[in-house]
Amino acid sequence: MISVAAIFDSAVTLALAILSLSFLVTIYRIVKGPTLPDRILGLDMLVAIAIGFIAVIGIKTGYTLYVDVAIALGLVGFLATVAFARFVLSRGKTEDDIITEARQAAAAARKAALSAGPDAKARTATAPSSGDNKISGRQDHE
Amino acid sequence: MNDVVTLISAALLVIGSVFALVASIGLLRLPDLYTRMHAASKAGTMGACLMLIALAVQANDVGTMSRALAGVVFFLLTAPVSSHLLAKAAYAVGYRLASISVMDEMKPED
Amino acid sequence: MSLFLVNLLLALSWSAVTGSFSFLNFAFGFLLAIFALSLIREQVGSVGYFSRARRVLSLLVLFVYELVLSAWRVAVMVLSPNMNLKPGIFAYPLRVDRDFEITMLANLITLTPGTLSVDVSDDRRILYVHAIDASDPEAARRDIAEGFERKIMEAFR
Repeated sequence: MISVAAIFDSAVTLALAILSLSFLVTIYRIVKGPTLPDRILGLDMLVAIAIGFIAVIGIKTGYTLYVDVAIALGLVGFLATVAFARFVLSRGKTEDDIITEARQAAAAARKAALSAGPDAKARTATAPSSGDNKISGRQDHE
Repeated sequence: MNDVVTLISAALLVIGSVFALVASIGLLRLPDLYTRMHAASKAGTMGACLMLIALAVQANDVGTMSRALAGVVFFLLTAPVSSHLLAKAAYAVGYRLASISVMDEMKPED
Repeated sequence: MSLFLVNLLLALSWSAVTGSFSFLNFAFGFLLAIFALSLIREQVGSVGYFSRARRVLSLLVLFVYELVLSAWRVAVMVLSPNMNLKPGIFAYPLRVDRDFEITMLANLITLTPGTLSVDVSDDRRILYVHAIDASDPEAARRDIAEGFERKIMEAFR
């Protein structure tokens, strides 16, 4: 006959192990998460898992102050998610948009460089003289 | 009586942590943000609430019990609001549904 | 609402008379107050109060049941080896029109099987719902209309 206390202890250990596993899986999603909202969702999930941890530890140690910590963490996590959602809304661009913009900017820059190729070469050739001018100008000011 | 309470609490703990694990696996496997939100907002909330209820069942003074249940109520109230806000913000900004989606009646006609 | 206050007052006086303000004793006093009010419901006109309390309670029970069911369905779906998903967003025409009721309906929808409220249209007529299985949106709309929306209208009107 297994005692109730032994069953309870193993249940607590099992719960801690499962929670650690889900913590790691969620961390993987946060690190990999292709978009910002995915990561925010992962962080929201982490808060839920942390509340679970707090509940298990509170039961294991019998230290009831942990309940207040769990409530405060839940409310702070809610506020954090709301603030992140506002941030996503105010940023107003998806990751795809940002990548497309960067590509377009790079292409435009490359095109400009190509079309202005000879001029650019000429500019580098004349650069030393203009530099001299500048230096002399500055000396004049002084 | 005390033994029964302890066993119920142990069962709630294990079930709650399994729900949390299922939620995070769902976060890992589902294809896009909106379907992942289903996993996090339902199974995740359920897991945390079950574990807080386990604490409430196990607690032997009424103050701890009522605080744990208040925590459950807070969590049930806030979880749908935060996921709703996140979904609204993500959709408004332009994160689209996964390609396997069958319909989108929210898309503006253009 | 004033009957609810009377109910609370009776529970408080029960706690004061028995000299213990513990949660359990207060809950017992609350139950006693409900019993006392139900004895004189014809005289003070609290019939509506009781039927409304019963409907709020039935909404609560439905909510807890649906939450457990939804968590279970998500668990089964996530753990099945090949996820056969047909997600999508469908529009749901709202019949409730007060802010409080819309908020409540949206929250309940989020916590129930396979549905997640995404947005409300500006004129508050349409609720956009993301469903994890949108192969039959008509059935999903009917479920919401017959289940939560009807219960909310019964409980708060």
